[in-house]
Amino acid sequence: MLESEGGGTAEDVVEMRTVVDLTRCQGYAQCVFLAPEVFELHGEEGLLYATAVPDDQAERVRQAAAACPVQAILLGEEVSSGAR
Amino acid sequence: MDSATLLARITDYASRPNPYPLYAELREAGPVVQQADGSYLIGTYHEIAALLHDPRMSADPRTRGEVAHKPPFLRLDDPEHHRLRTLAMRPFGPPHSPRRVDSMRGEIDRITRELLQSFEAGRQIDIVDDFAYPLPVTVICRLLGVPREDEPLFRAWSDALVAAADVRPEDDSAEEDKAGDQARMEMGGYLVNLAEQRRGDPGDDMLSAFVNEPDPALRLTQEELAETAVLLLIAGHETTVNLITNGSLTLLRHPEQLDRLRREPELLPRAVEELLRYEPPVHMRGRVPHADIDVAGTEIPQHASVILALASGNRDPMRFDEPDRFDPARPDNQHLGFGSGIHLCYGGPLARIEAQAALGALLPHLGGASLVEDPPPYRQNAMLRGPRHLPIQL
Repeated sequence: MLESEGGGTAEDVVEMRTVVDLTRCQGYAQCVFLAPEVFELHGEEGLLYATAVPDDQAERVRQAAAACPVQAILLGEEVSSGAR
Repeated sequence: MDSATLLARITDYASRPNPYPLYAELREAGPVVQQADGSYLIGTYHEIAALLHDPRMSADPRTRGEVAHKPPFLRLDDPEHHRLRTLAMRPFGPPHSPRRVDSMRGEIDRITRELLQSFEAGRQIDIVDDFAYPLPVTVICRLLGVPREDEPLFRAWSDALVAAADVRPEDDSAEEDKAGDQARMEMGGYLVNLAEQRRGDPGDDMLSAFVNEPDPALRLTQEELAETAVLLLIAGHETTVNLITNGSLTLLRHPEQLDRLRREPELLPRAVEELLRYEPPVHMRGRVPHADIDVAGTEIPQHASVILALASGNRDPMRFDEPDRFDPARPDNQHLGFGSGIHLCYGGPLARIEAQAALGALLPHLGGASLVEDPPPYRQNAMLRGPRHLPIQL
Protein backbone atom coordinates (compact mmCIF):
# COMPACT_ATOMS: atom_id res chain seq x y z
CA MET A 1 0.00 0.00 0.00
CA LEU A 2 2.71 2.45 0.89
CA GLU A 3 5.25 3.45 -1.69
CA SER A 4 8.37 5.48 -1.34
CA GLU A 5 7.88 7.01 -4.74
CA GLY A 6 6.05 6.91 -8.03
CA GLY A 7 2.44 6.50 -9.00
CA GLY A 8 -0.09 3.76 -9.66
CA THR A 9 -0.02 0.97 -12.21
CA ALA A 10 -1.62 1.27 -15.64
CA GLU A 11 -4.92 -0.10 -14.30
CA ASP A 12 -5.17 2.47 -11.53
CA VAL A 13 -7.06 5.66 -12.13
CA VAL A 14 -5.18 8.01 -9.87
CA GLU A 15 -6.74 11.41 -9.53
CA MET A 16 -4.83 12.86 -6.65
CA ARG A 17 -1.13 12.92 -5.93
CA THR A 18 0.46 14.10 -2.74
CA VAL A 19 3.90 15.36 -1.78
CA VAL A 20 5.02 16.11 1.76
CA ASP A 21 7.70 18.74 2.25
CA LEU A 22 9.77 16.73 4.73
CA THR A 23 11.93 19.75 5.53
CA ARG A 24 8.80 21.30 7.06
CA CYS A 25 7.28 18.15 8.60
CA GLN A 26 7.68 18.12 12.39
CA GLY A 27 6.12 14.73 13.03
CA TYR A 28 2.86 16.00 14.56
CA ALA A 29 1.20 13.02 12.79
CA GLN A 30 -2.15 14.75 12.32
CA CYS A 31 -2.25 13.31 8.78
CA VAL A 32 -1.79 9.77 10.11
CA PHE A 33 -4.88 10.08 12.32
CA LEU A 34 -7.00 11.39 9.46
CA ALA A 35 -5.76 9.22 6.56
CA PRO A 36 -4.02 6.17 8.04
CA GLU A 37 -4.14 4.26 4.72
CA VAL A 38 -2.00 6.93 3.05
CA PHE A 39 0.25 8.29 5.81
CA GLU A 40 2.19 6.15 8.28
CA LEU A 41 4.61 6.85 11.10
CA HIS A 42 7.96 5.10 10.97
CA GLY A 43 9.03 5.10 14.61
CA GLU A 44 7.74 8.05 16.60
CA GLU A 45 8.25 10.85 14.09
CA GLY A 46 9.41 9.63 10.67
CA LEU A 47 6.71 9.90 8.02
CA LEU A 48 6.04 7.47 5.16
CA TYR A 49 3.31 8.14 2.62
CA ALA A 50 1.80 7.06 -0.68
CA THR A 51 2.34 9.63 -3.43
CA ALA A 52 -0.57 8.23 -5.47
CA VAL A 53 -3.81 8.64 -3.54
CA PRO A 54 -6.52 6.04 -4.22
CA ASP A 55 -9.89 7.53 -5.08
CA ASP A 56 -11.55 6.35 -1.89
CA GLN A 57 -8.89 8.11 0.19
CA ALA A 58 -9.04 11.51 -1.54
CA GLU A 59 -11.43 13.10 0.98
CA ARG A 60 -9.33 11.85 3.91
CA VAL A 61 -6.16 13.22 2.29
CA ARG A 62 -7.83 16.61 1.76
CA GLN A 63 -8.63 16.61 5.48
CA ALA A 64 -5.04 15.64 6.30
CA ALA A 65 -3.60 18.43 4.14
CA ALA A 66 -5.90 21.01 5.73
CA ALA A 67 -5.01 19.77 9.23
CA CYS A 68 -1.21 19.78 8.92
CA PRO A 69 -0.01 22.25 11.59
CA VAL A 70 2.99 23.22 9.42
CA GLN A 71 1.11 23.04 6.09
CA ALA A 72 3.68 20.61 4.68
CA ILE A 73 1.28 18.50 2.58
CA LEU A 74 0.90 19.49 -1.08
CA LEU A 75 -1.89 18.07 -3.21
CA GLY A 76 -2.08 17.89 -6.98
CA GLU A 77 -4.59 16.42 -9.36
CA GLU A 78 -3.26 14.13 -12.06
CA VAL A 79 -4.81 11.63 -14.43
CA SER A 80 -2.83 8.38 -14.65
CA SER A 81 -2.00 6.44 -17.79
CA GLY A 82 -4.93 4.11 -17.08
CA ALA A 83 -7.42 6.90 -17.61
CA ARG A 84 -5.87 8.48 -20.67
CA MET B 1 -7.19 52.81 28.48
CA ASP B 2 -4.44 51.44 30.73
CA SER B 3 -2.86 48.42 29.08
CA ALA B 4 -2.01 46.97 32.54
CA THR B 5 -5.72 46.24 33.00
CA LEU B 6 -6.06 44.26 29.77
CA LEU B 7 -6.18 40.83 31.45
CA ALA B 8 -8.83 42.07 33.88
CA ARG B 9 -10.85 43.50 31.01
CA ILE B 10 -10.46 40.42 28.80
CA THR B 11 -11.52 38.05 31.59
CA ASP B 12 -14.43 40.31 32.64
CA TYR B 13 -17.60 38.42 31.74
CA ALA B 14 -18.91 41.50 29.89
CA SER B 15 -16.16 40.95 27.27
CA ARG B 16 -17.11 37.36 26.54
CA PRO B 17 -19.24 38.03 23.40
CA ASN B 18 -16.43 39.97 21.70
CA PRO B 19 -12.93 40.02 23.21
CA TYR B 20 -11.29 40.72 19.83
CA PRO B 21 -11.02 44.54 20.14
CA LEU B 22 -9.19 43.97 23.44
CA TYR B 23 -6.82 41.56 21.69
CA ALA B 24 -6.13 44.26 19.08
CA GLU B 25 -5.35 46.67 21.92
CA LEU B 26 -3.05 44.01 23.45
CA ARG B 27 -1.09 43.53 20.21
CA GLU B 28 -0.83 47.29 19.81
CA ALA B 29 0.56 47.71 23.35
CA GLY B 30 2.81 44.63 23.05
CA PRO B 31 4.32 42.29 22.19
CA VAL B 32 4.78 41.84 25.97
CA VAL B 33 2.37 43.72 28.25
CA GLN B 34 2.87 43.52 32.01
CA GLN B 35 -0.35 43.43 33.98
CA ALA B 36 -1.31 45.09 37.27
CA ASP B 37 -1.10 41.69 39.01
CA GLY B 38 2.52 41.18 37.86
CA SER B 39 1.75 38.70 35.09
CA TYR B 40 2.87 39.13 31.47
CA LEU B 41 0.30 39.00 28.70
CA ILE B 42 1.37 38.26 25.10
CA GLY B 43 -0.95 38.43 22.09
CA THR B 44 1.26 38.54 18.98
CA TYR B 45 1.52 35.45 16.77
CA HIS B 46 5.26 35.13 16.31
CA GLU B 47 6.10 35.65 20.00
CA ILE B 48 3.41 33.15 21.08
CA ALA B 49 4.56 30.55 18.55
CA ALA B 50 8.22 30.97 19.61
CA LEU B 51 7.36 30.62 23.31
CA LEU B 52 5.24 27.50 22.70
CA HIS B 53 8.39 25.94 21.21
CA ASP B 54 10.78 27.26 23.90
CA PRO B 55 12.01 24.58 26.35
CA ARG B 56 12.66 27.31 28.94
CA MET B 57 8.90 27.80 29.24
CA SER B 58 7.26 25.49 31.77
CA ALA B 59 3.66 24.35 31.52
CA ASP B 60 3.87 22.86 35.03
CA PRO B 61 2.12 24.84 37.81
CA ARG B 62 4.59 23.32 40.31
CA THR B 63 7.31 25.51 38.72
CA ARG B 64 5.75 28.45 40.60
CA GLY B 65 4.88 26.28 43.61
CA GLU B 66 1.20 26.63 42.80
CA VAL B 67 0.13 23.02 43.37
CA ALA B 68 1.73 20.08 45.10
CA HIS B 69 0.28 17.13 43.18
CA LYS B 70 1.62 15.95 39.84
CA PRO B 71 -0.65 17.35 37.10
CA PRO B 72 -1.74 15.54 33.92
CA PHE B 73 0.53 15.66 30.84
CA LEU B 74 -1.13 18.83 29.54
CA ARG B 75 0.65 20.63 32.37
CA LEU B 76 3.91 18.68 32.59
CA ASP B 77 7.28 19.45 31.01
CA ASP B 78 9.52 17.01 29.16
CA PRO B 79 10.68 14.38 29.88
CA GLU B 80 7.72 13.56 32.19
CA HIS B 81 5.31 15.04 29.65
CA HIS B 82 6.72 12.99 26.79
CA ARG B 83 6.52 9.73 28.72
CA LEU B 84 2.91 10.21 29.82
CA ARG B 85 1.63 11.65 26.54
CA THR B 86 3.23 8.77 24.64
CA LEU B 87 1.62 6.20 26.98
CA ALA B 88 -1.75 7.96 26.72
CA MET B 89 -1.39 7.98 22.92
CA ARG B 90 -0.91 4.19 22.66
CA PRO B 91 -4.63 3.28 22.51
CA PHE B 92 -5.60 6.52 20.70
CA GLY B 93 -3.23 7.33 17.85
CA PRO B 94 -0.10 6.62 15.84
CA PRO B 95 2.28 4.93 15.89
CA HIS B 96 0.56 2.24 18.02
CA SER B 97 -3.14 2.79 17.10
CA PRO B 98 -3.13 4.80 13.85
CA ARG B 99 -6.66 3.74 12.81
CA ARG B 100 -8.48 4.35 16.08
CA VAL B 101 -9.81 7.85 15.40
CA ASP B 102 -10.50 7.16 11.71
CA SER B 103 -12.50 4.07 12.69
CA MET B 104 -14.91 6.23 14.72
CA ARG B 105 -16.19 8.16 11.68
CA GLY B 106 -19.16 5.86 11.11
CA GLU B 107 -20.30 6.07 14.69
CA ILE B 108 -19.82 9.85 14.79
CA ASP B 109 -21.96 10.17 11.64
CA ARG B 110 -24.63 7.93 13.17
CA ILE B 111 -24.78 9.93 16.45
CA THR B 112 -24.92 13.15 14.41
CA ARG B 113 -27.84 11.88 12.31
CA GLU B 114 -29.75 10.78 15.41
CA LEU B 115 -29.35 14.18 17.03
CA LEU B 116 -30.51 15.94 13.87
CA GLN B 117 -33.69 13.88 13.53
CA SER B 118 -35.68 16.35 15.61
CA PHE B 119 -34.41 19.37 13.62
CA GLU B 120 -37.60 20.15 11.69
CA ALA B 121 -38.19 23.40 9.81
CA GLY B 122 -40.13 25.90 11.94
CA ARG B 123 -38.77 24.59 15.26
CA GLN B 124 -36.58 26.53 17.67
CA ILE B 125 -33.64 24.51 18.88
CA ASP B 126 -30.58 25.12 21.05
CA ILE B 127 -27.44 24.22 19.12
CA VAL B 128 -25.57 23.67 22.42
CA ASP B 129 -27.95 21.45 24.39
CA ASP B 130 -29.55 19.70 21.42
CA PHE B 131 -26.45 19.08 19.30
CA ALA B 132 -22.98 20.46 20.04
CA TYR B 133 -22.81 19.13 23.62
CA PRO B 134 -24.38 15.66 23.32
CA LEU B 135 -22.27 14.67 20.28
CA PRO B 136 -18.76 14.95 21.80
CA VAL B 137 -19.98 13.65 25.19
CA THR B 138 -21.35 10.50 23.58
CA VAL B 139 -18.17 10.06 21.53
CA ILE B 140 -15.73 10.52 24.43
CA CYS B 141 -17.81 8.18 26.63
CA ARG B 142 -17.61 5.48 23.96
CA LEU B 143 -13.91 6.03 23.43
CA LEU B 144 -12.91 6.06 27.10
CA GLY B 145 -15.45 3.47 28.26
CA VAL B 146 -17.53 5.73 30.51
CA PRO B 147 -21.29 5.07 30.86
CA ARG B 148 -23.17 7.81 29.00
CA GLU B 149 -25.87 7.86 31.69
CA ASP B 150 -23.27 9.06 34.23
CA GLU B 151 -23.08 12.40 32.40
CA PRO B 152 -24.80 14.44 35.16
CA LEU B 153 -22.21 13.10 37.60
CA PHE B 154 -19.10 13.95 35.61
CA ARG B 155 -20.57 17.18 34.27
CA ALA B 156 -20.63 18.60 37.80
CA TRP B 157 -17.01 17.57 38.41
CA SER B 158 -15.99 18.91 35.03
CA ASP B 159 -17.68 22.28 35.67
CA ALA B 160 -15.77 22.64 38.95
CA LEU B 161 -12.43 21.66 37.40
CA VAL B 162 -12.81 23.95 34.41
CA ALA B 163 -13.79 26.88 36.66
CA ALA B 164 -10.68 26.29 38.80
CA ALA B 165 -8.43 26.18 35.71
CA ASP B 166 -9.76 29.42 34.17
CA VAL B 167 -7.44 32.39 33.63
CA ARG B 168 -8.11 35.33 35.94
CA PRO B 169 -6.10 38.22 37.36
CA GLU B 170 -4.46 36.67 40.36
CA ASP B 171 -5.64 35.44 42.32
CA ASP B 172 -8.92 35.48 44.11
CA SER B 173 -9.62 31.86 43.28
CA ALA B 174 -9.10 30.01 46.61
CA GLU B 175 -12.70 28.85 46.64
CA GLU B 176 -12.62 27.61 43.02
CA ASP B 177 -9.30 25.86 43.68
CA LYS B 178 -10.71 23.99 46.67
CA ALA B 179 -13.80 22.89 44.73
CA GLY B 180 -11.56 21.92 41.80
CA ASP B 181 -9.32 19.75 44.01
CA GLN B 182 -12.33 18.02 45.47
CA ALA B 183 -13.79 17.38 41.99
CA ARG B 184 -10.45 16.11 40.69
CA MET B 185 -10.17 13.59 43.53
CA GLU B 186 -13.74 12.35 43.09
CA MET B 187 -13.63 12.19 39.30
CA GLY B 188 -10.23 10.45 39.38
CA GLY B 189 -11.56 7.87 41.85
CA TYR B 190 -14.64 7.31 39.70
CA LEU B 191 -12.58 6.74 36.53
CA VAL B 192 -9.99 4.49 38.23
CA ASN B 193 -12.87 2.42 39.59
CA LEU B 194 -14.36 2.08 36.09
CA ALA B 195 -10.94 1.02 34.77
CA GLU B 196 -10.47 -1.52 37.57
CA GLN B 197 -13.77 -3.17 36.64
CA ARG B 198 -12.20 -3.95 33.24
CA ARG B 199 -8.97 -5.44 34.60
CA GLY B 200 -8.77 -8.92 33.08
CA ASP B 201 -12.02 -8.31 31.20
CA PRO B 202 -11.18 -5.61 28.65
CA GLY B 203 -13.57 -3.91 26.25
CA ASP B 204 -12.37 -1.95 23.19
CA ASP B 205 -12.22 1.30 25.21
CA MET B 206 -9.19 3.29 26.36
CA LEU B 207 -9.65 2.71 30.11
CA SER B 208 -9.52 -1.03 29.37
CA ALA B 209 -6.35 -0.57 27.34
CA PHE B 210 -4.66 1.43 30.12
CA VAL B 211 -5.46 -1.01 32.90
CA ASN B 212 -4.67 -4.17 30.89
CA GLU B 213 -1.30 -3.05 29.47
CA PRO B 214 0.87 -6.20 29.65
CA ASP B 215 4.27 -4.44 29.56
CA PRO B 216 5.08 -3.07 33.04
CA ALA B 217 7.28 -0.38 31.44
CA LEU B 218 4.24 0.96 29.58
CA ARG B 219 1.81 0.98 32.51
CA LEU B 220 0.43 4.10 34.18
CA THR B 221 0.49 4.25 37.97
CA GLN B 222 -2.93 4.55 39.58
CA GLU B 223 -2.31 8.27 40.18
CA GLU B 224 -1.24 8.79 36.54
CA LEU B 225 -4.26 6.85 35.31
CA ALA B 226 -6.56 9.06 37.38
CA GLU B 227 -4.98 12.31 36.15
CA THR B 228 -4.89 11.16 32.52
CA ALA B 229 -8.46 9.88 32.46
CA VAL B 230 -9.79 13.06 34.09
CA LEU B 231 -7.94 15.17 31.52
CA LEU B 232 -9.20 13.16 28.54
CA LEU B 233 -12.82 13.10 29.70
CA ILE B 234 -12.89 16.84 30.39
CA ALA B 235 -10.92 17.91 27.32
CA GLY B 236 -12.95 15.54 25.16
CA HIS B 237 -16.19 17.34 25.79
CA GLU B 238 -15.52 20.85 27.13
CA THR B 239 -13.72 22.06 24.02
CA THR B 240 -15.36 20.35 21.03
CA VAL B 241 -18.74 21.72 22.12
CA ASN B 242 -17.30 25.22 21.67
CA LEU B 243 -15.80 24.40 18.27
CA ILE B 244 -19.14 23.14 16.94
CA THR B 245 -21.15 25.95 18.55
CA ASN B 246 -18.75 28.74 17.54
CA GLY B 247 -18.75 27.22 14.06
CA SER B 248 -22.54 27.26 13.81
CA LEU B 249 -22.66 30.84 15.09
CA THR B 250 -19.96 31.99 12.66
CA LEU B 251 -21.69 30.38 9.67
CA LEU B 252 -25.01 31.96 10.60
CA ARG B 253 -23.27 35.34 10.85
CA HIS B 254 -21.73 34.85 7.37
CA PRO B 255 -24.59 33.68 5.13
CA GLU B 256 -22.56 34.11 1.93
CA GLN B 257 -19.87 31.73 3.28
CA LEU B 258 -22.57 29.36 4.51
CA ASP B 259 -24.01 29.25 0.98
CA ARG B 260 -20.56 28.68 -0.46
CA LEU B 261 -19.95 25.71 1.85
CA ARG B 262 -23.31 24.23 0.89
CA ARG B 263 -22.26 24.48 -2.78
CA GLU B 264 -18.66 23.35 -2.19
CA PRO B 265 -18.69 20.87 0.72
CA GLU B 266 -15.11 19.83 -0.15
CA LEU B 267 -14.10 23.13 1.48
CA LEU B 268 -15.32 21.90 4.87
CA PRO B 269 -11.94 20.62 6.19
CA ARG B 270 -10.37 24.02 5.49
CA ALA B 271 -13.42 25.78 6.92
CA VAL B 272 -12.93 23.90 10.20
CA GLU B 273 -9.29 25.05 10.30
CA GLU B 274 -10.45 28.61 9.66
CA LEU B 275 -12.94 28.30 12.54
CA LEU B 276 -10.09 27.13 14.76
CA ARG B 277 -8.31 30.35 13.82
CA TYR B 278 -11.24 32.75 13.76
CA GLU B 279 -13.24 31.55 16.80
CA PRO B 280 -11.03 29.05 18.67
CA PRO B 281 -12.40 27.03 21.61
CA VAL B 282 -9.30 27.75 23.72
CA HIS B 283 -8.35 31.42 24.04
CA MET B 284 -5.41 31.43 26.47
CA ARG B 285 -2.72 29.19 27.95
CA GLY B 286 -0.43 29.90 30.92
CA ARG B 287 3.32 29.30 31.05
CA VAL B 288 6.13 29.94 33.55
CA PRO B 289 9.74 30.63 32.51
CA HIS B 290 12.36 28.41 34.19
CA ALA B 291 14.89 31.26 33.72
CA ASP B 292 14.89 34.98 32.99
CA ILE B 293 14.00 35.33 29.32
CA ASP B 294 14.00 38.16 26.80
CA VAL B 295 10.92 38.41 24.61
CA ALA B 296 10.97 41.09 21.91
CA GLY B 297 13.14 43.34 24.09
CA THR B 298 11.21 42.83 27.34
CA GLU B 299 12.84 40.92 30.20
CA ILE B 300 10.47 38.42 31.79
CA PRO B 301 11.81 37.15 35.11
CA GLN B 302 12.11 33.51 36.12
CA HIS B 303 8.89 32.08 37.63
CA ALA B 304 6.70 34.96 36.42
CA SER B 305 3.20 34.14 35.23
CA VAL B 306 3.04 34.39 31.42
CA ILE B 307 -0.30 34.24 29.62
CA LEU B 308 -0.30 33.51 25.90
CA ALA B 309 -3.47 34.78 24.22
CA LEU B 310 -3.70 32.21 21.42
CA ALA B 311 -6.94 33.70 20.10
CA SER B 312 -5.19 37.05 19.73
CA GLY B 313 -2.27 35.49 17.86
CA ASN B 314 -4.83 34.02 15.47
CA ARG B 315 -5.96 37.58 14.62
CA ASP B 316 -2.49 39.09 14.28
CA PRO B 317 -2.22 41.10 11.03
CA MET B 318 1.56 40.54 11.10
CA ARG B 319 0.82 36.88 10.38
CA PHE B 320 -2.59 36.68 8.63
CA ASP B 321 -3.97 38.79 5.79
CA GLU B 322 -7.23 40.44 6.81
CA PRO B 323 -7.27 38.48 10.07
CA ASP B 324 -10.76 39.64 11.06
CA ARG B 325 -12.27 38.18 7.89
CA PHE B 326 -13.75 34.65 8.08
CA ASP B 327 -12.45 32.92 4.94
CA PRO B 328 -13.15 29.17 4.71
CA ALA B 329 -10.65 28.87 1.82
CA ARG B 330 -7.86 30.79 3.58
CA PRO B 331 -4.43 29.67 2.33
CA ASP B 332 -1.41 29.21 4.64
CA ASN B 333 -3.56 28.86 7.74
CA GLN B 334 -1.09 27.91 10.48
CA HIS B 335 -3.44 28.87 13.28
CA LEU B 336 -2.91 28.43 17.02
CA GLY B 337 -6.35 26.89 17.58
CA PHE B 338 -4.79 23.66 18.85
CA GLY B 339 -1.66 25.35 20.20
CA SER B 340 1.75 24.42 18.80
CA GLY B 341 4.88 22.58 19.90
CA ILE B 342 5.01 19.61 22.27
CA HIS B 343 1.59 20.34 23.79
CA LEU B 344 -0.25 20.52 20.46
CA CYS B 345 -3.78 19.37 21.27
CA TYR B 346 -3.78 15.61 21.92
CA GLY B 347 -7.43 15.21 20.89
CA GLY B 348 -7.30 17.58 17.91
CA PRO B 349 -7.73 14.85 15.27
CA LEU B 350 -10.90 13.60 16.98
CA ALA B 351 -12.22 17.14 17.38
CA ARG B 352 -11.64 17.78 13.66
CA ILE B 353 -13.59 14.69 12.63
CA GLU B 354 -16.41 15.56 15.03
CA ALA B 355 -16.59 19.18 13.83
CA GLN B 356 -16.52 18.18 10.16
CA ALA B 357 -19.25 15.59 10.68
CA ALA B 358 -21.34 17.93 12.82
CA LEU B 359 -21.09 21.04 10.65
CA GLY B 360 -21.36 19.04 7.41
CA ALA B 361 -24.61 17.44 8.58
CA LEU B 362 -25.89 20.72 10.01
CA LEU B 363 -25.29 22.75 6.81
CA PRO B 364 -28.56 21.78 5.07
CA HIS B 365 -30.49 22.82 8.20
CA LEU B 366 -28.78 26.22 8.51
CA GLY B 367 -29.83 27.52 5.10
CA GLY B 368 -33.17 28.90 6.26
CA ALA B 369 -32.22 29.25 9.92
CA SER B 370 -31.78 32.45 11.91
CA LEU B 371 -30.20 33.38 15.22
CA VAL B 372 -32.75 34.04 17.97
CA GLU B 373 -30.22 36.09 19.98
CA ASP B 374 -27.03 37.71 18.70
CA PRO B 375 -24.78 37.69 20.65
CA PRO B 376 -25.97 34.56 22.43
CA PRO B 377 -25.46 34.07 26.19
CA TYR B 378 -21.87 32.92 26.89
CA ARG B 379 -20.38 30.50 29.38
CA GLN B 380 -18.50 32.11 32.27
CA ASN B 381 -15.09 30.74 31.24
CA ALA B 382 -12.67 33.14 29.52
CA MET B 383 -10.08 30.50 28.62
CA LEU B 384 -12.53 27.95 27.19
CA ARG B 385 -14.79 30.45 25.48
CA GLY B 386 -18.10 29.59 23.88
CA PRO B 387 -21.87 30.18 24.07
CA ARG B 388 -23.84 28.54 26.89
CA HIS B 389 -26.86 28.41 24.60
CA LEU B 390 -27.26 29.11 20.91
CA PRO B 391 -30.98 29.26 20.18
CA ILE B 392 -31.81 29.25 16.47
CA GLN B 393 -35.05 29.26 14.54
CA LEU B 394 -35.06 26.59 11.82
